[in-house]
Formats: sequence, structure tokens, C-alpha cells
Amino acid sequence: MTTAPGPDPFAAAPPPRGRFLHALNPLAKIAGPLPAIVAVLFAHTWALPALLATGSLILVLVGARLSGRALLGLLVVLPLATAVLTLSFAFWSDGGRASATPLLVELGPVRLHEGALLAGGATALRLAAILLLSLVGGLSTTGPDLARSLVQQLRVPYRVGYTALAAYRFVPRFGHELDVIRQAHRVRGMAPGRGPLPALRRRAGYLVPLLAGALRHAERVALAMDSRAFGAHPTRTERHLVPWRRRDTVFVLLAWLATALAIALAIAPADLIAQKV
Amino acid sequence: MTVPALELRGVRIRHEGAQRFTPDGVDLLVHPGESVLVLGPSGSGKSTLALALNGLVPQEVPAELQGTVRVRGRSTAGTPVARLSEHVAMVFQDPDAQIVTATVLDEVCFGPENLLVPVDEVLERAEYALRRVGLWERRHENPDQLSGGGRQRLAIACALALRSPVIVLDEPTANLDPRGADEVYAVLGELGADRTLVLIEHALDAALDVVDRVVVLDRSGRLAHDGPVELLRERADELLALGVWLPSALLAGLRLRDRGFPVPEAPLTPAALTTLLDSLPAPAAAKATGASATVTPDAHPAAPRPGSSPAPPARVAVSARGLSVSRGRTRVLHALDLDVTAGSFTAVVGVNGAGKTTLLQALAGVAPPPRGTVDVLGLDPARADARRLARTIGFVFQNPEHQFIRSTVADELAHTLELQRLPRPAIDEQVERMLVRFGLVEQRAVHPFLLSGGQKRRLSVGTALLAGAPVLALDEPTFGQDRARARELLDLLSELNRGGTTVLAVTHDLQLVADHASHVLVLEGGRVAAHGPTAEVLASDALETAGLTASPLTRAFRAAADPAWHGVTRLADLDALHPSDA
Repeated sequence: MTTAPGPDPFAAAPPPRGRFLHALNPLAKIAGPLPAIVAVLFAHTWALPALLATGSLILVLVGARLSGRALLGLLVVLPLATAVLTLSFAFWSDGGRASATPLLVELGPVRLHEGALLAGGATALRLAAILLLSLVGGLSTTGPDLARSLVQQLRVPYRVGYTALAAYRFVPRFGHELDVIRQAHRVRGMAPGRGPLPALRRRAGYLVPLLAGALRHAERVALAMDSRAFGAHPTRTERHLVPWRRRDTVFVLLAWLATALAIALAIAPADLIAQKV
Repeated sequence: MTVPALELRGVRIRHEGAQRFTPDGVDLLVHPGESVLVLGPSGSGKSTLALALNGLVPQEVPAELQGTVRVRGRSTAGTPVARLSEHVAMVFQDPDAQIVTATVLDEVCFGPENLLVPVDEVLERAEYALRRVGLWERRHENPDQLSGGGRQRLAIACALALRSPVIVLDEPTANLDPRGADEVYAVLGELGADRTLVLIEHALDAALDVVDRVVVLDRSGRLAHDGPVELLRERADELLALGVWLPSALLAGLRLRDRGFPVPEAPLTPAALTTLLDSLPAPAAAKATGASATVTPDAHPAAPRPGSSPAPPARVAVSARGLSVSRGRTRVLHALDLDVTAGSFTAVVGVNGAGKTTLLQALAGVAPPPRGTVDVLGLDPARADARRLARTIGFVFQNPEHQFIRSTVADELAHTLELQRLPRPAIDEQVERMLVRFGLVEQRAVHPFLLSGGQKRRLSVGTALLAGAPVLALDEPTFGQDRARARELLDLLSELNRGGTTVLAVTHDLQLVADHASHVLVLEGGRVAAHGPTAEVLASDALETAGLTASPLTRAFRAAADPAWHGVTRLADLDALHPSDA
């Protein structure tokens, strides 16, 4: 090989500049938001999920390279879905305790109390917060990098990690196969008709051919992998290192600090934050 | 004394649940640098033998192995498959099922990385291997973006990067179009004598250029012949009787000799056939046909092709007017007009992405076309329900498993008729007839998924026909099948076609087209590039213009100096010729 100066012929596309989330270790992007996710699971107020959802939304918007569709999802679909969920949960929630709170809307038999709205909002916000916190890593990590860091930092056996990697390739293949199966079954007049029952029968019918194809494909890929020395040694050469750097430690500590701060703010005296149960 | 590359002693293999051992008692010594072609009829255990050469049998495939297999002195029973890969590399039939990573470069590096080769050397090997197969410039691409031929070349590069001295290839071109197969053999031909090749292949025309020894298994899996390539010529009759496929150039040479041409030595490769043709007297058409003296597209002297009706005013079975279809934002078909003659066997050909499958699906109503653009015997598939559609046009998907929806073979057939709301006794009677006709009587209670590949294919054709559809549409019916199974299906289709069924098949197998189709429709970029009787289309340059490569036989005859040979596209054409001075 020549050592002539010039761009490295093996270099992959450089990571997007200025979008720091992409430069972090995938595990850091899981470890950082993890305590926050746990806290949201146990939080019963709306303040904590609201704070954490806002925080992670800002983090994702600033730190990750987003496609137009992702932006649309984050800024339009997600707030709308949260609003819709808030209303649905409000109507479902137990009227007992909420009926003591002021009445907001009355439309014929439908009565919406302030307490119910707040409870519904808290639940919807918790779901939104959990989603956004997991998107911190989700929108800026590739599957292969996650598999590599699992192997390199968490010492997951590479046979497991790289099999997961190979399985990644199956997803689009199965999507296409499902389309073909759906067409084939429609042409053959499988469970025609509208409504949930025929639809369920149709879906069940797709499973057998899909699974049969999947198993055969997986078997062949496994034979091909083993024929290419997969598992010959306990470790393998890593060309793509996914190191744990100081900035990963800093990110995790900052994320934990921010989480602690948010919790402190959320349970602060009621006159600081308007908090109601 | 050098260690043999491969040493097989009394090798017998029985798959779990199978009755017979195939292969059954094979002794074979392959020396470094040899290139061995393994031949044998379907079921003789060629692919099983290939799996035994790197230890997949018996280590990973559930099968019993008797005797010993040694790779460069190492027993495959005692050395793990992964370690054996340093000595023997495999290239499998399905290019999709051997890709693990997301880029071409990562793919080639995968093997050496597993062998703990240092990073610098991994990259050095990857560059060497990718340059050898012509994929270095595309190293950052997703392997999915390569053509079938490209992906198989990638698999060969992976084998090269492992630096294993022995490479075993199991039907590497069965899933490829002629162009892809040519690419693969061009790469294999350049590997040189520093590699030992073991090749299992049915498309012999290209393969013979890269091998120097032939090993033949018989129907029971025993070693029948072992010798140089000339063995094919010397034992041609015996091999044909065994059910072994011979190169089409050799078959053409033998037929020419039968027709009275002075053929001193039958050719083995297409190039040798062309050389032979140039030394022969000019061909003349046999008197009986009353055709002109030479084979020309206008006066094809061959016996009438199946399906081509002698009467000129042909009825139309399927027609399209201004048919446009889009997938997402891309327009796949551009305002097509076409008429498929009733009773014809029409082959739809074109390169990948030309819109073949989309056209077939639109014509058959699988993906409903715009209303009023397609007419199948008076029915608009865009408005028809599954019941009426099934009575008019049957569709056979590329993978028969996709269309099976019931749990026994008999129910699967009955389903078509239940959809037509036939009374039970009538259904039972017709199902019975179909079981007999398609040789599935013993399998009536078997789950369709447990049938053999050939049986599945027959069942899928049977279900498509059962509602009485006079038109049958098939999407790549021979894709990924071995030659014997492909021929079995084509004989069935030809038989149906003679019985009056209009057959419409998408295919990339141009020899199939030449041998069976009465009409050819060439698609190029979503438009009809040519459509007409097979002989006319094959004799024109429509295929080449549309980016296709004619079959090796057609090309060999076209390459002859005397244009009188240029119209020969299939072996049967030769039966109508004799030497002009005879």
C-alpha cells in the first residue's frame, strides 16, 4: 500500500460537525438519561416530566442532526399527541377525587374538572418525557455503533453483538417480504372483508410464511458467517473503535446533575412551582 | 511431497431424517492449484458435498458423516468451521444470505477481523481483494446497492481476503442474470493457479473456461467419473443418460454432427463452437420445411414453436392502453400499450428495474392498475374482486410459500374453489383431479410448507389454475432453482400452453425464452422496447439495446462469420439444418 499523502481511502463519512451528540459513546447516551427515565416512571406530578421533556427536547434539537421528518415529529406531532393524550386520560381518570376541583368545561353529560385535566396531563407528559429522553441516544446513534460499544465497553461477547448487527440487515428485507406476502394473500382471497376480525385473521396468515422465510434466511446467514471465521477466537480485531472518552464521562455526570436539579425543582415548595396532585 | 488441498476418503453423508446417503462413498484427492468442477444430477448430493469441505457438515448442518474429509491435512471433524476458514472459503448460491455488514469494505474486512489479523493488514487484504473483483471504487456503498453479480463478486472478495488457498463455490451464478454470471466467471478466470477451486455449477458454458478437471456423481451419489474436461466430450452419451447437464456448445456440436456436418471434435465452450462453425460448410434448411436456404429471422425453418398459432388473426388475451404505474414518486411504467396474443407463451424480459414485475402485477391485478388501462379477456383487473380475478388470470409468485394460506395441500387447492362458491362434491372432485395431475396425491394431507421445492412450485401453479383461469402470469418462475427443477416447471408450462392456456412469464433466463417462449416482450426503462415472435426479437439487437445479454448459445452462433448461422437461438433450430453441399 502506498503512503502518499491524501485523504484516507478507508475513511467513512465524517460525523456531522457541531452536532455533539453524534460524537458521544452510545452507552453514554443511555447512561446519561437513564436516571431521569426512572425518576419519571415514579413521578406523579407534571412538573418533573415537563422539565425533563423540555430539557431533552432542547438537547436533541441542539445536539443531533435531524431529518425533516424527525423535526416534524418532535415539534408538531409529539406536542399534538401529548395534547390528545392529556384529554383522553382526563376523561378516563377517576372522577372521584377530581370532582372536588373546579369545573372547567361542561358539555351536556361531559364534565371536565381541573383535577382530571392535571392528572391526564401528568400521565401524557410522562410518556412524552420518556420518549424524548430515549431519543437523546436514539436519534444520534447507529445500530452498529451501539453493538460495537456493547462489545467494547460492556464486554458483551462479540458473537452476540455482531449477530445483532447482522440481524439489523434483516429488517428492510422482512418489510419487503411482508409486502409481497400481503399482495399474494389478497390475490388469493384470504379472509376478505372489513373490520377487526378479518384483519386479525389476515395478519395471522402472514406470520407463517414470514417466519419460515426468516428462519431459512437466518440459517443461511449463520452458515456464511461461520464460514468466514466468525467465532474463531474469543476476541476479534476492531477497526472501528468506539472509545469511552473524557467527554462521555462529562456528559453522563452533567446529565445526572441536571436530573437531580430537575427533581429538586419539581418537589420544591408549592409557592415556587405551581404544583398540584 | 505436498499436502493435498483436499483429501476425501469414503465420504458418505446422510441428512437428518433422510433415508439414503448422498454422496455415498466418494474418494477424491485435489492438489493445490487444481480447479475441479463437480457435476451430477439433481439429488446426487453435490451441495451436501460442498458443505462437508469446510466442516459445516457435520458440525453445523444436522447430518451424519462417514469417512474422512481433510483440508490441507486437517480433519474437518476435529477442527471448528471458523478455524477451517483459514484454509477453505465458501461462496454460496444466494448472494443476499451471505452479507453481514453495512458497507462493502466492512464486509471484506469481516473475515480477517475474526482471524485477529492486525488492522493494517486487514485493510491491505481488503484493498487487494476488492481491486481483484473490481469493487474497490464502491467500497463505501451498502452491499444492497450492488447488482446480483456485484454481490457475488463481493462474496469472492471476502474469500480472497481470508487468504484461504481453497475456495468452494456452490452454484454461484444460479441467482444471477447472464451478465452477472459473466462478471463472476471473469473474476474467477483471473484468480490464477495459486488457488484451488471446487465449483458446483449448472451453467457450464461459462464455467468450463475456469476448470481443468471434472468429477461426476451419479444419481445414487457415487463417484461415476473423474478426469480432465475432455471427459465431457468423450462420455457425453453416458453423462446425458445420468441426467447431467452438458455445455450447450457441446450439445450443439453433437447435433450438428448428427445432421451430417463434418464435426471432427465437438466444442466445449461457446468460443470453440464459433471456431467450429467457421470451418463448416454453410447450412441449408431441410427440404421438408420448404423454407429458404438460410436461417433468417423472416423464414425461421424450425418446427413451429409451442403456442405460436398457425392462424394469423390471433385473439388478444391481455391488453394495456396507456398503462402508467408509479411506485412512490418514481414512475415505473410509462404509458404502455401492448397486446398479448391469446394462446401465446409470452416472456417478459428486461434488466433489473426495467419494470417487469410491476407490469406483470398490474396486468394480473395483484397491484391494481389505474382503471380502464388493462383488459384481461374483457375484465378490468382494477375493478375485479379476488373471485372474478381468479377465474380470469392466475398469478404465481416468485416464492410459492408467499401465496400458501391453508394448512394442507388439499385445502390449499380447495380454497380457490371455495372462493368460487362451488358445491362441496364438485370441489372435492376437482381437487382430486388436480392432485393427480400435479403428482401431489401422496402429499394431500401435508402442510404446504413441508413440501419439497419442486412440489411447492407445482402446488402454486395448480392453485393459480384451479379456478379455470385461461391466463397464467408467473413472476420469475425459475429464479434460484436448479436446472432440473427449472426444466420440470417449464415442461409443465409448455404442456399447459399447448392445452390453450396463455402463459405470461417474467424471467431473466434467456435460454428459457429461446427454448419455450413463442413471444418476447422486451422492457426498457418502463417502456416496451420490442414485442413480437421469439425468433424475430432474438435475431434483432433489441436485447442488447435494452442492456441484456443473449444466452451463450445464441451469442456463439451470432459470432460466426457466415450470417446463415445467426438465426439459431436454440438447439431445436439445428434439427432443420443440413450441410449445403450434402
